[in-house]
Amino acid sequence: MATVKLGFIVKSLPYKTEASRLALTHAIASQTVEIYLEDGDMVEPVVAFIGDGVLNCLKNQKAMNMYGVTSLEQHLKNSLLLDMRVLICKEDMEKLGLSEDALIMDAEDIGGETKANIAPFSEIMKEMDSTNHLLFF
Amino acid sequence: MRLGVIVSDFRNMDETLSRLKADKLGVIFVSNGVYHTATKEGGKKSPLLEKSPNMYVLTEDLQSRGFSEVQIDSRVKPVTYSDLVDVIFNDYDKTIWI
Amino acid sequence: MGKLTIGVFSSLVGSLSLDFAVKLADAAIKKGHKVDMWVSGNATMLSKKGQRAFKDYSALEKKLHEMFASGSFQATACEACAEARGFHKEDTMEGWKRHSMDWYLASTFSADRVLHIGGD
Repeated sequence: MATVKLGFIVKSLPYKTEASRLALTHAIASQTVEIYLEDGDMVEPVVAFIGDGVLNCLKNQKAMNMYGVTSLEQHLKNSLLLDMRVLICKEDMEKLGLSEDALIMDAEDIGGETKANIAPFSEIMKEMDSTNHLLFF
Repeated sequence: MRLGVIVSDFRNMDETLSRLKADKLGVIFVSNGVYHTATKEGGKKSPLLEKSPNMYVLTEDLQSRGFSEVQIDSRVKPVTYSDLVDVIFNDYDKTIWI
Repeated sequence: MGKLTIGVFSSLVGSLSLDFAVKLADAAIKKGHKVDMWVSGNATMLSKKGQRAFKDYSALEKKLHEMFASGSFQATACEACAEARGFHKEDTMEGWKRHSMDWYLASTFSADRVLHIGGD
């Protein structure tokens, strides 16, 4: 029995490229990875938004209405619904003038119990240190 | 953590690279990242060359862009793809691409 | 010898990041390592068969066939990403597999090293 921890570090803006969307969809895929692994083995994702990537976490995204695609807001809520650890960089929020109220911090509206964490970059760096592999998006 | 960072572009790399902390940090310049090793913008060398004592540049990407190994900063070690495999496996626990 | 998993999301034509991934994989195989490659997003085009080589575009199919023949290389494309781009199982180059994204995560589970190239 073993757990491999993967860090999904999102620094890209949403929509113009697929990067942040693929970060979340790949992280969510950890829910079905067991079909390839031995009993008891698992992959544990942690998602951190840094730099411009924190803008993926803004509330009230209307991507489904405008582009006909699932919003990053919805993917982030799905991640929280699956109890994924989500970190949002405090310094980058402040730099971009974002308050906690402006961000998706939970998925209560779809039954989620896990909350996102606003964390200083130093804490995100510690989280990166604790992973087996790092994937930057 | 021994962290290798592959720098693949000339612009907007410093913000991410400067924040990363590791017991051993390596910087590997590839693609348009190689310009950091061989150009002097406004007469000054790239600030990225101050980020780590462990720096490498992919010779194939360097030569593709019109530079030779004699033109790069003396602190940067030229590497082939084969060398890079050894760097990834032997010198760093994790390698990221920015 | 170890296992390297490379994930790539970059376009086949344009950035040359896929060329980098393939050349790195080839070098690792030649040094005795095993390599898994996962392509997702725009990088799924690498797995499409029938690519014609022009001198102004990356042409990686021949190299991929050599790598498959080594027995130390496996490559898988994101099925949904490929379908979204209009190419199907019958359009896939020989040697490639198509799976959902969990294949990539499973590959990282047993990898000694992972390199994820996330750019467009």
